[in-house]
Amino acid sequence: MKQQINRLPADTGKGLAGRLIDRSRPIRFTLNGRSVHGFAGDTVLSALIASGVDTLGIHDDHAIGLRPGAAPPIAYTGSTGDALQALPMERTPARDGADYAIFAHDAAPRLFNRLFQPGRSLGLSLDGHAKSLARPWRSVAGHLEAPTDLVVIGGGVAGMAAALAGAKAGLAVTLLEASAQLGGYSGLFGTQDGESTPEDNVAALATELAATDRIRVETLTEAFAIGEGLVRAHRLETAAARVEASVIDLPTRFIVIANGAFERLPTISGNRLPGIAGAQEAFELAHRYGIWPGQSWLLATSSNPAYRLATLTAESGIRLDRILDSRDRASSRYIEFCKAYGIRQFPGTMPISVAGQKSGGRLAVLLPHVDAVTVDRLVLCGGWQPDLTLWHIAGGRSRWNGEKQRLEPSGGLTGIVLAGSAAGYLTRRGCVTSGIDAVDRLLGRRGRGVDDPVIDAFYETPDAIMAGSVPDEPAAPAYLDADSALLMRPSEMRKSWRDMLGGKRSGSISVLAEAPQSLSIGAICSGVGLGLIPAESAGVIAQERVALVPLATAEQQSAEEAPLPEIPIYLENRFGPDAALVTLAHDSSRQVGSGALIYANEDLTDPRQAIGVVLRSAEGKTKALIAAGSIAAKRPVIVRDLGQAFQAAIVA
Amino acid sequence: MSEAIADFAVFGSTPLAGLVAGLLAQRHQAKVIAVGEGPTRYRLPRMLDLSVAAITRPETWAVLTATVPETARFIGRLAGRQAIRRVDPIFFADSAAAKESLGHFAHMARGFGQSLEAVPNTRLGAGRNGYRLIDAMIIDRAAFEPSLEAWLAGQAVRYKASQAIEMTPEGSAQVHIDGAVIEARQVVLIDDAAIIEYLPPALWPALLLRQARSTILTVSNRRMAGPLMLDVETGTMLLQHEEDSLVATGPGRLAQLSARLTRLVSNSGQLQQAGQVGFEGLMTLDGAPLLGQTMNKGPIFLTGLGSLGAFLAPMLARWIAGEASSEELEWCQTRRPDRQGRHQAIAEYAGREEHAA
Repeated sequence: MKQQINRLPADTGKGLAGRLIDRSRPIRFTLNGRSVHGFAGDTVLSALIASGVDTLGIHDDHAIGLRPGAAPPIAYTGSTGDALQALPMERTPARDGADYAIFAHDAAPRLFNRLFQPGRSLGLSLDGHAKSLARPWRSVAGHLEAPTDLVVIGGGVAGMAAALAGAKAGLAVTLLEASAQLGGYSGLFGTQDGESTPEDNVAALATELAATDRIRVETLTEAFAIGEGLVRAHRLETAAARVEASVIDLPTRFIVIANGAFERLPTISGNRLPGIAGAQEAFELAHRYGIWPGQSWLLATSSNPAYRLATLTAESGIRLDRILDSRDRASSRYIEFCKAYGIRQFPGTMPISVAGQKSGGRLAVLLPHVDAVTVDRLVLCGGWQPDLTLWHIAGGRSRWNGEKQRLEPSGGLTGIVLAGSAAGYLTRRGCVTSGIDAVDRLLGRRGRGVDDPVIDAFYETPDAIMAGSVPDEPAAPAYLDADSALLMRPSEMRKSWRDMLGGKRSGSISVLAEAPQSLSIGAICSGVGLGLIPAESAGVIAQERVALVPLATAEQQSAEEAPLPEIPIYLENRFGPDAALVTLAHDSSRQVGSGALIYANEDLTDPRQAIGVVLRSAEGKTKALIAAGSIAAKRPVIVRDLGQAFQAAIVA
Repeated sequence: MSEAIADFAVFGSTPLAGLVAGLLAQRHQAKVIAVGEGPTRYRLPRMLDLSVAAITRPETWAVLTATVPETARFIGRLAGRQAIRRVDPIFFADSAAAKESLGHFAHMARGFGQSLEAVPNTRLGAGRNGYRLIDAMIIDRAAFEPSLEAWLAGQAVRYKASQAIEMTPEGSAQVHIDGAVIEARQVVLIDDAAIIEYLPPALWPALLLRQARSTILTVSNRRMAGPLMLDVETGTMLLQHEEDSLVATGPGRLAQLSARLTRLVSNSGQLQQAGQVGFEGLMTLDGAPLLGQTMNKGPIFLTGLGSLGAFLAPMLARWIAGEASSEELEWCQTRRPDRQGRHQAIAEYAGREEHAA
């Protein structure tokens, strides 16, 4: 355990001991020569974080935290040249004895790595286009699989319910889940009155799925593109000693998108420093892998479920300094529970900025009116947003809901529907019933509809976007999302020594819509919160700026050119209806270009006074179109070509 | 019940639409409402606003040469120098027919005082002809639109999205905006989207076709031969931003434009798609603009102006207001929507026509 400094004790309660790891089976692997320890059940990323590696590298002269949404692909050492050998470290099961390397390792200068605690960092340089974070398999064409009736994307409760409903309707169903297990991310959200626990609910659905032979479940398979009747996915196969990857194309009649919601990143300075995590990310790391970095933490939120994380960790010995809530008067049962635990709460307060401390790797959180608070970990929760990425890739529309402060789907698509929290449903019951309803809608059946028993806003205050102002001298940039795009808040553009030397940074832009990269939904939400994007334009921007993967085969350009018309359409009637084709005789050493204008005499230069034009030269002959009257005059003409004028005769 | 009366209801969200609406109000003392979706600067561009195009008709060059300085001065006064940038676009062609039309364009441009220089194949690619036109102008929508909106508000031009419109066969309309009904004596449809939505089928000209168009934003870490390149054959425009991004807009569905983009800029390094939109636009069979009413009734509409539209705005506003010069009037009248066939003396090179949807 000594090597796994961020692993919680095995007896940690409240489900935070790591349900996916087997502590009796320690493993060890290397990444770029660094020895990493973990347990069977870890992913490569979770083992790294458990071992204290929490830094991705350097961007804009600041350290960036290593997180599931921004982790570099890896490959087995010696296989880093092939896009199909790249593996996402957050999904790849760690294997004992494996020798991994970062797929596109772009190392930061050694000086920086020394400054930013090399033991914690993967040491990547993230300036420029951050190729280290690119997903190379996105440009790989898929292997065509056998057609199916229904593809359900997302193995949470909504996706599982949709798959079961599809099977009951007689459809052949393929259920795709990006992680190794079904169940999704409903654990943090707890239960409402009369509900079973998330674990019991998931277990019941999984049992039902296992008993159905019409459903093929593909875990570790992440859909990343949707076209008409086609889903493209990246699949990891773990049966052999080595984890192998492939890109598959799944032809299908119907598609249910149930890939959930994601947590927004509050836009405050320093929001991507190592040691910062989202509430759901922090919960899942603890719940799945028994990981909690540090001994003290601070929670800043604009959403109620994050408070539940505080109650779950209350008896773990990890000190929660305080909870900040950007909302003035938020109410929630979770807030009341936290009060009962005696946790300090500061409504209407949000951090001004966060700075990393040079020694000890702790975070200094600057707060209004009081001294900075120093903690090991800062959990930032900006509320939840339906993940509409695949919906937009499929051509779906969306619009901003000002009341709920989120982007929501609008309109419909043929053969494709949303379900669960991706469709905007908030409760577990709502997600389950929306999965069933999605299949009903696809089949044109009148179902029972969706039952989403949302607690009244008086008792459960809705999420808000947490967007901070720019401090006078921010210690670190504010990023718009927790993803790999590393898009900074535009107002923080400033010159660095690197710019002055002609280097380019990714992420710094003056107008968000002009960003030279795709815009994630999270970045667009932040843009709305910061007033960089008008709310009424958010939907169309989200649709236009999604990182689309074209699935259609590009049309080949015809190699054959149409024969040239004798007189092009744009010359018709230019010199009168009786203009005729003639041959010009001139100095044979001259090559006259198409379009050279012909005049009656040398004094004329206005194109409107031209009497003809050269069409083309071929086989030593110059063909021209000339007004009938000028042909009849049989006088020499003046050709103006490339600023030179010369005489020519009309010969035929 | 009508609450207000306007002389014109101008439909469109582009700089051309905004300029025409505002100029009708300011210079021609008309009461105008502008109906559109709001600012386009946050969206991917459907068309760029450039002061030159690959035109070959001398009368069009004459009108353009006369109007562009006026437009540039006006935009400069309205929105400052940053709203209108100098650019040296490269017009290029691959096929024999397009190369011929490029030659005609180049000679005509020189004839009207433009400076051009041939771009060597080493910069453009083998088998490709190209000319760099020196000192053209392009409107920077991000810098221009906020000033345009403020100016329109100052001219009492209400700029709103419409909830509904009831148009008469003569071209007047009742426009429902924010719960009010505005009686407009004459509808003017400017953006292609507005024409597609509101032009009655009975008045749809035979020369006007719907066309699938697309815009793709890519990230490229290599530079093109110039910051703005125009493919004469397809009308595809490629604009490189300083921040390593490249915008391509042109005819065809997304897959077609994507394939063309790869072909056109194959020497510009790997392209990573960062945004895209497919939309429906319009094309004219003879490549020339369509201006006015069909059979002297219905809405006035302006289409087929390509990238030039905004730079012709003062002239078009004069013409709509009935105050055009004789040369302007003739140019507009010969481009009326109900002209017959392809044999008018106004056709331009229209490229390959299979892009029609």
